[in-house]
Amino acid sequence: MPKTEMPSGALMLLILRVLRSSPLHGYAIAQRIHMLSSEVLRVEEGALYPTLQKILLQGWATAEWGTSETNRKVRFYRLTPAGRKQLASELSDYDRVHQAIQAVLRTA
Amino acid sequence: MKPLLRRLQYLLNRRRREEELAAEMEFHLEMTQREGGENFGNALRLREEAREAWGWTWIDRLLQDLHYAARVLRKSPGFTLAAILMLAIGIGANVAAFGFFDLMVLRPLNVKHPETLLRFERRSTEAYAAALPYPEWEFFQRYSRTLSAVLGLSPGKLSMEGEGKQVPAQFVSTNYLSELGAVPVLGRVLEPGLDGAPAAEPVVVLSSAFWQRHFGGDPGVIGRVVRLNDKPATVVGVVSEDFGGLSFDVPAVWAPIRQQPYFAAGSRLLTDFSVDSTGVLLWGRLQPGLTPKIAEDELRTLAAELRKQHPDDIWKDESLPSEPGGYAKSLRNRNRHGTGRDDSDGMLPLFALVGALVLLILVVACANLGSLLMARGVARQREIAIRVSVGAGTGRLIRQLFTESVLLGLAGSAAGLLAGYAILRGLMVLSSAPVWLDPRPDWRVVVFAVGVGFAAAILFGLAPAWQVARQRHRAMLARQILVGAQMAASCILLIVSGLLGRALTHAMSTDPGFAYQKLISIGPGLAQHGYSPAKAHAYLDALQSRLEGLPGVRSVALTLTPPLGHGTISAGVTVDGHELDFQVNYIDPQFLSTMKIPLLRGRNFTRGDTKVVVVSESLARVAWPGQDPIGKEFSGSSVVGVCGSARLVKLEDSNSVEAYFPVSESELPSMFMLAETSGRPEDSVRAIATTARRIDPAIFPEVELVKDGFQRKIQSAESTALAVSALGMIAHLLACFGIVGVVAYAVSQRTKEIGIRMALGAKPGDVLSVVLRQFSRPVVAGMVVGIGVAAALSRILRSILYGVSNLDPATYAITIAVFVVTVVVAALVPARRALRVDPLRALRYD
Repeated sequence: MPKTEMPSGALMLLILRVLRSSPLHGYAIAQRIHMLSSEVLRVEEGALYPTLQKILLQGWATAEWGTSETNRKVRFYRLTPAGRKQLASELSDYDRVHQAIQAVLRTA
Repeated sequence: MKPLLRRLQYLLNRRRREEELAAEMEFHLEMTQREGGENFGNALRLREEAREAWGWTWIDRLLQDLHYAARVLRKSPGFTLAAILMLAIGIGANVAAFGFFDLMVLRPLNVKHPETLLRFERRSTEAYAAALPYPEWEFFQRYSRTLSAVLGLSPGKLSMEGEGKQVPAQFVSTNYLSELGAVPVLGRVLEPGLDGAPAAEPVVVLSSAFWQRHFGGDPGVIGRVVRLNDKPATVVGVVSEDFGGLSFDVPAVWAPIRQQPYFAAGSRLLTDFSVDSTGVLLWGRLQPGLTPKIAEDELRTLAAELRKQHPDDIWKDESLPSEPGGYAKSLRNRNRHGTGRDDSDGMLPLFALVGALVLLILVVACANLGSLLMARGVARQREIAIRVSVGAGTGRLIRQLFTESVLLGLAGSAAGLLAGYAILRGLMVLSSAPVWLDPRPDWRVVVFAVGVGFAAAILFGLAPAWQVARQRHRAMLARQILVGAQMAASCILLIVSGLLGRALTHAMSTDPGFAYQKLISIGPGLAQHGYSPAKAHAYLDALQSRLEGLPGVRSVALTLTPPLGHGTISAGVTVDGHELDFQVNYIDPQFLSTMKIPLLRGRNFTRGDTKVVVVSESLARVAWPGQDPIGKEFSGSSVVGVCGSARLVKLEDSNSVEAYFPVSESELPSMFMLAETSGRPEDSVRAIATTARRIDPAIFPEVELVKDGFQRKIQSAESTALAVSALGMIAHLLACFGIVGVVAYAVSQRTKEIGIRMALGAKPGDVLSVVLRQFSRPVVAGMVVGIGVAAALSRILRSILYGVSNLDPATYAITIAVFVVTVVVAALVPARRALRVDPLRALRYD
């Protein structure tokens, strides 16, 4: 199956969503998205890290140093309350747009 | 807001953040490789992309550009030095001009809370006056609620034992010193509680300078009794030397204004309502939270109230417009009153003119630098080409080159700040400005200098940067425009400085319409001593007959306005529908002959004439062009004579016109006496002074050589002309250097072409014309534009040209000749190199 890239707005939404359940490090975020999408979506490093920096700047997540499964020091991203709010609003935005598109596709 | 703060935090901890990012991405790489994933890509580039999210990459680029620019400039010190020097001149002239403006208008005076001070003047629809009669001032002081303090100042002079001349004194309201924050170095300042009572002891406060000079800084001076105008007064304090108060000149003593009549025996200052009396200058401190408008409204209402009691003395519809009082500008114009329009801001166009001139110098400097940078751009062709080939975009190149210009501009600002300070300081010393005016730049001047440096960088840097980056250095047009602009600017400057120089020589060589060389003016100041008209009449008669009896004195006359003094009286009338401002003077029948002003038509006054007027020829020309003025009605009098034009006060203003009315009894206490001597006036001064002094021992007449007043006037004109000429010459020199540069560059560019032409038999003249033809058009165009602009601009100068026309053909001819010769020489010197081109070598060139 070909690996599909995604628009960066969607990446932000997906990152926020996978961070909701537990704090993750960068590589794990990419992996999680890859797996959850049944290996359809592939997160490019060149898009992942700039987006993570933006999330930090906006204050939607905080970063703290922890230890990885392989015993390496690595940065974990944890969603903040502001991040949860942002996720909720992006989700509802996404739903609206999604429904609208579906409606057009069904009736046209 | 918060993301911005975080962003700033990122900037401050940049190194750590970067390390974190690197560690994180390295981990990612490791994991990818362990799981047999694809290649991670260029780690450095990925990191850079992630970092861009912080939004600070422009700082990195800027720092890079600055480093690079500094290195480039350091590597060619000759160019850098020349550029900074040019900018120092261009920016320095602007900094000096702005610095003066700052001193006069923007910088608060060194007094307490200058921002709440207002200065008021009297105005009605028909008249204006800088000073108020003391009773009116006192009325305001008593009843004003919008002003938390009302300050009054009346300048005067007092004689003092051990001092040859009278010393300057200021009679002030008792709150004046304390309200303005004057600090006593010894004793105390004036106190309203102690010195305000009508029966208070006569006291004076000394200025620090006078205390040093007269008392040798003796600390025991407090409590000492000094005799001023032969009246004892107790010294109660010495004010520190940094206090200037609300006056350009620091007096020797301050005394309570209510005691002025005590010192000037018989003075009616405190009761006199007449506009001719010295009066009191009014400052007020605005109550917090109020606007000047509210204070003006209140004073107008108060004035109307006072007018009910004094209908003849307070004007109809009298208003008291205010201006900010805590700035040096408000200290000017203190000795003016008159009817009609008020031209107090006659300085404004001159300010504008000076501004325009210094801006022109900057234009010349920038244009020069622009062509220098362009020529340099060609030399840097190789460097630019390399940078382009390793991937620098046009935008990046322009930014790089522009950064260089900005760096130069800022260095120029610093140098200009120094140069400007030096220029301003020099000018202030030349024009003997008050010592407390400090020419050192304050923050406004620094901001201005940096701003000008930046603007200059845009002016001289952007076009060449654009051109260089696009590798189009053969753009002749841009260079021609630069040359043209320089030529126009320096042409204007040359003409203006030529006009000022011409005006000066004209003023010194031609007579001002009256003979001042042998005149002595005697100002008894009778009004200040409360002389009634009848008493004044007796005094003046006695003075006149005694002076006429002196051996060296040829003739004696009376005048209200002493020639070349400081005070002016102007009036406005409407003649045949148009308004006319003129200088008023009241004189006696001997005046014209004493002053050697010729009577051109009609007759002189005779004693006892009323309702008649003698007008100057210039006034007649303006008022009734082409008509016979004799018998015309003018300002309620009929014209009986026309005399030569003589600018008694405004020597420099060729627009000023005069009218002379016969002196009436009521003006006698304010009159000055003029004595014409047969020999050197210096020889008669002493005799005249003692004679005048003997008539009334209470009176201390001021005796002055009119010549000295003339010298004073000339001196200030001299320094103006000198300064402007220096600026003009410097600007023109810069422009000529610019010509040398561009011509030399053109020659080096076309060596091969010249070689071919010579090989084909071109004569030297042909070769020169090939090189110079491209410059003749911008030079001529620039000159024509320059002459046109100068002719228009110099109209503003008319009022200070001493009667020289602003289109004076001789000046224009000489200036243009100088201009053409210097420019041709500047062009020929480098062009000669073209003649020495060896055709053989030139052909092998490349």
